[in-house]
Amino acid sequence: MASTQVAPVNPASLPGTQVPPRVGRDRMTRSLARMGWGFASPALVVIGAFTIFPILFSIFVSFENVNVTGAGFSFQGLTANNYSIVLGASLWHHALWFTTVYTVVTVVVEVALGTIFALVLERMTQGRGLMMAILLIPWSLITVVSAELWSYIYNASYGVLSGVFHNILGQPFSATVALMFADVWKTTPFVTIIVLAGLVMIPSELFEASEVDGANGWKTFWRVTLPLLRPTLGIAVLFRVLQAFGLFDLPYVLTTGGPGTSTQSLAMLGYNTMFTNLDFGPGAAVATTTAVIVLVMCLVFLRAFKAQVGKETPNA
Amino acid sequence: MRNRTRSGWRAVFTWVNLGALLIALFVLVPMYWLIASAFKTTAGVGAYPPQFFPSPVSTANFQAAFGEYTFGRYVLNSVVVAVCATTLVLVLGTLAGYALARLPVRGKYPVMVSLLMISVFPQIAVIAPLYLIMRDLGWLNSYQALIFPYTAFNLPFAIWILRNYFLGISMSMEESARVDGAGALRTLWSVVVPQVTPGIFTAGVFTFTACWTEFLMALSFNQQNNMRTIPVGIATFGSQYTVPYGTLFAASVVAVVPIAILVLVFRKAVVSGLTSGAVKG
Repeated sequence: MASTQVAPVNPASLPGTQVPPRVGRDRMTRSLARMGWGFASPALVVIGAFTIFPILFSIFVSFENVNVTGAGFSFQGLTANNYSIVLGASLWHHALWFTTVYTVVTVVVEVALGTIFALVLERMTQGRGLMMAILLIPWSLITVVSAELWSYIYNASYGVLSGVFHNILGQPFSATVALMFADVWKTTPFVTIIVLAGLVMIPSELFEASEVDGANGWKTFWRVTLPLLRPTLGIAVLFRVLQAFGLFDLPYVLTTGGPGTSTQSLAMLGYNTMFTNLDFGPGAAVATTTAVIVLVMCLVFLRAFKAQVGKETPNA
Repeated sequence: MRNRTRSGWRAVFTWVNLGALLIALFVLVPMYWLIASAFKTTAGVGAYPPQFFPSPVSTANFQAAFGEYTFGRYVLNSVVVAVCATTLVLVLGTLAGYALARLPVRGKYPVMVSLLMISVFPQIAVIAPLYLIMRDLGWLNSYQALIFPYTAFNLPFAIWILRNYFLGISMSMEESARVDGAGALRTLWSVVVPQVTPGIFTAGVFTFTACWTEFLMALSFNQQNNMRTIPVGIATFGSQYTVPYGTLFAASVVAVVPIAILVLVFRKAVVSGLTSGAVKG
């Protein structure tokens, strides 16, 4: 709205400045800055109202005694009970353990497999565009659809795999592996695309130099490719870890957390506490502790990543 | 895999293509199973040993999805929510991305870092408070119950993407437009935005896909049958004891094919969005 023509709106600021050309520059800068906040504020207000405010409110709810009746919700005073209920419960311990193991295993497998896929694709002389198109299909798939598809494949009586593995979803261990496999199927293509982008940025002279030096493909991979790929892999791991830790859709549909509660993730536990048991206080406590864990992981990653990048820059 | 020298290209070529074929099968075989099962009869879906090709080929599942089940309503709900949220994200995200890239706004760095943090925050953290707020506002089972949270959750990524594009274009044209006396909004719309259309496509496709596939908030806020979106509708098909897989997959095909086409058409935009994090560092 504020065009630069209307810049001299504040004559009071004139005596404070000495050199006339600087006045104009500062005025313009200031008016542009005002305009900048004007442009940015609608987005920031929406983000603040629907993410930051709820997060703060969630922390408040997690310390509240929430009373749920047919008429509505009321807050009955501050309490630390929600946390003592949650942190002492074996359900929470199990969900934390399950989510952590799930995250570590799927991310390791997906990054390793994604790197192998990307190495294959990088060597393709033709048809890489087609492969990229194929890889984008699972990425765009609705997770709920993928979960239903795998539940059909794993079905104990008529699933395709029921002849090979008996009742996969009936045992805690095999149900966990089945969930992980469905995740690997859907997400490895995403990791492949990211790693491939990092691979094609490595200058090919480095590979040629390594070959001239007599290194074989395996040695070249460990000595040249992997170190140069580390920043890309770091980003891929960060994205995947944060996403996997919020796991909800896949187990909610594929195993409904079962058998029993053996595949119940932290997000599922939070959701079930809130919407099945209507325990909003403890539910918010589960959600808040999950968010805090994610936040801490995020900060640790950023730290480690910065340190690593800082170490590598002088050598480059 | 082992030899990179060009002299052995023939051997490498075969191995690489075999590898690519295996990767393609890894992705496509389950997808084939989804599509094939959508065209099976109820008996065909439950047959064991399974029918590797539907016989007879039947479209009864598609009729059931739109007739017996109210899948058409779910599609409408998803379209309304995704289109509104994407439009809002693009308008607000363009303004904010431009401001954070080009205008001398102080405190950009903390804003950008907070946006990054928000975009990776687990959604479960906002479900309880948003549910209580929406309940008080009377927004449960409404379009706005999803449009606003979707807009808020997708804006950070869109702002990052668009900011990168704004940083990459030349500033001279907008300065001359400014000197010519064009208003700021008009300069942005007619001079700057046309230069970042790839970025707008990228942000748009990402936001639309995210809204189309989102499950947790849609499940929590819009539980009423006539307000369900596609993912919630598909997850709640059938009862606890019987899952009508054929109907469910027919609905899934209808839900998945348009978005797959969208993503394939805008393949370049999607890949640039996916890899922008990796490239920018």
